[in-house]
Amino acid sequence: MRHSVLLIDDDTEMSVMLTELFKRESVDLSVAEDGVTGLDKALNGDYELILLDVMLPGIDGMQLLQRLRQQHRDTAVLMLTARGDDDDRVMGLELGADDYLPKPFNPRELIARVRALLRRTPNTTMQNESLNVCGIVLDPATTEVKCDDAELILTPTEFDILRCLMQQAGQMVSKDQLSVAALGRKMEPFDRSLDVHISNIRKKFPAKPDRIQTIRGRGYRLIASL
Amino acid sequence: MKNRRTRWYRSLALRLLFIFWALLSVTAASGYLLAVWNKPKAELKPLEPEIYQTLQPLLSDALTFHSLQPGRLIAGDYRVAAQLSVQGSEKLLMDEMLRVSHGSTLLRMLGQDSPQQIPLDERLLMGPFELNGNKILVTKPLGIEEQVDRERLEAESTRARILTLLVGSGLLAVLLGIWLIRPIRRMILAMREVADGSATPELKRLPKRGDEIGELARALSQGALDLATSRDAQRRLLSDVSHELRSPMARMQVALDLADCNEDDPNWQQLRRDTERLSVIIERILSLSRLENGLVDLNHESLDSGELVQQLINDMCYQHPEVRERLLRHGSNWPVIDTDPELLRLVLENIVRNALHYTEDNVELSCDDYGKGCHIRIRDHGPGVDESTISKLFVPFYRGDPARHHKAGVGLGLALSHRAAAVLGGELKAHNHSEGGLEVVLDLPKSQPEQKE
Repeated sequence: MRHSVLLIDDDTEMSVMLTELFKRESVDLSVAEDGVTGLDKALNGDYELILLDVMLPGIDGMQLLQRLRQQHRDTAVLMLTARGDDDDRVMGLELGADDYLPKPFNPRELIARVRALLRRTPNTTMQNESLNVCGIVLDPATTEVKCDDAELILTPTEFDILRCLMQQAGQMVSKDQLSVAALGRKMEPFDRSLDVHISNIRKKFPAKPDRIQTIRGRGYRLIASL
Repeated sequence: MKNRRTRWYRSLALRLLFIFWALLSVTAASGYLLAVWNKPKAELKPLEPEIYQTLQPLLSDALTFHSLQPGRLIAGDYRVAAQLSVQGSEKLLMDEMLRVSHGSTLLRMLGQDSPQQIPLDERLLMGPFELNGNKILVTKPLGIEEQVDRERLEAESTRARILTLLVGSGLLAVLLGIWLIRPIRRMILAMREVADGSATPELKRLPKRGDEIGELARALSQGALDLATSRDAQRRLLSDVSHELRSPMARMQVALDLADCNEDDPNWQQLRRDTERLSVIIERILSLSRLENGLVDLNHESLDSGELVQQLINDMCYQHPEVRERLLRHGSNWPVIDTDPELLRLVLENIVRNALHYTEDNVELSCDDYGKGCHIRIRDHGPGVDESTISKLFVPFYRGDPARHHKAGVGLGLALSHRAAAVLGGELKAHNHSEGGLEVVLDLPKSQPEQKE
């Protein structure tokens, strides 16, 4: 099956080469060169993944991401940020990006990240039984999550992290394990993405955000019962 | 802005001349005034009756009285000092020595209605004694006790005079010192700030004066601004160029991947390696410029330094399995420190990489805790570094051994570590170990100072 991915980046020469690169990997890459076209394509096309550059003419990557998430489009988003710009990364993740890759990237690294994110799309979910822990009900079949009877709207990455924590409720789940489950890759040194995702999930709980506990430097744990 | 020359009337030389002159005159004047103030006041007192009784009989005879000319002894120590005779033409005779030094006092005494006494130098002056309109004044040497008394008084007043003079001139000297030294100190502070690399040195406190010091301050201020501007421009150029190089570099990497080349082709491999190397250089320049411009936000956490080092060793062994045997961590008392983990790892990683790169033998990491901070030591067993070049190790693009250029890294790793260590509030130093090999020591405080770089 061929995957379809949208690249929103104003570097034309790069886009041409990436299109070719992805063609070899059986991925169809569509390109948008500015924010407005990009948002339009993202909202109207059917893409599995969006590669989003932060610096864009028109509306920038952050605004685009915000509008996309406001429309409840939970297409996976991989942000391409300038290296060293910590604020951009954290902000992107907080706005609902699934992962980030600093520019300039090694093309193989990009492909690996894209593959990881494509692999974990919801339709590949294996275990389908519904989970009910700690006041949270998660149904993998419908991807619906309820917490204290209120519906939670989670991005696919947040959904995967929560499911992984619920499957091992009461136990510590290492950061590496969570990262593999949700992002399809191991943690890198000083990787902040998982922490931001967890913090996003906590913010969405109607009450008691500390039902996910942090085990400093090692991992997280969902308490078994309230 | 042109630095105006000092006008002659504002020149420091003139001011100094004036000040010294003023200082000297004030000192002299104060000395004179003190001398005048402190002189024991000689006062007229009515003549003691005993003396009067002693002399009266001798002075009652008109003939004798008339013959009493200045200089004559009357009785005992009593000597005539002045004589005013009204017989015939009015005539005033005075003792020559007394007339010179105390003429006015003598005249004042002659004008008195009744006999008085007054001390004059070592003598007591008495009079006037009158007979038929003729008047005489008499002196008598002061007794031993009276003389001692006078000398004591004199000595006391001299001491007071010297003290006041010293204090007065000292005060003036302090004022002069402040006037001269304070602007110079301010300039020194400003210059230090410039030397420390401040891009916008605080130059407001420089002295605003019309003299040479003011001129120097203006010249310094201009120089500092020029220096800061050019330093800033240099940094920005490096950073901008690197930024601009990024996109083409990224494209080159993709293009290399796309190129239909045999992966075993040595030329292709060379191209690939150099592309990697170039992107590393660019990234490091950008990191360095971010550190130097204080654009790095520190995320303080308390972390176990031993755990961080072990993680670093594990990661490096994972990337380069061949170093597994060479990389050793010693000791167990690695402290918990409050610092930025990412920067600390950057510091250590570059040093360790360097050590592994330039030497063949083991690289050892150890730590000692000295309470307020700790020393993290990274020691290799290579040939060490020539003492004369050791200080240049942390200079960007400096390479210890140019002969091994081809194998070398990019020459930025240690500079980056050095800068990052400073941002963490620590210091990086290198020295040759007494048993051979180079030892790089990171002195790191356990808790971060509050202010940011």
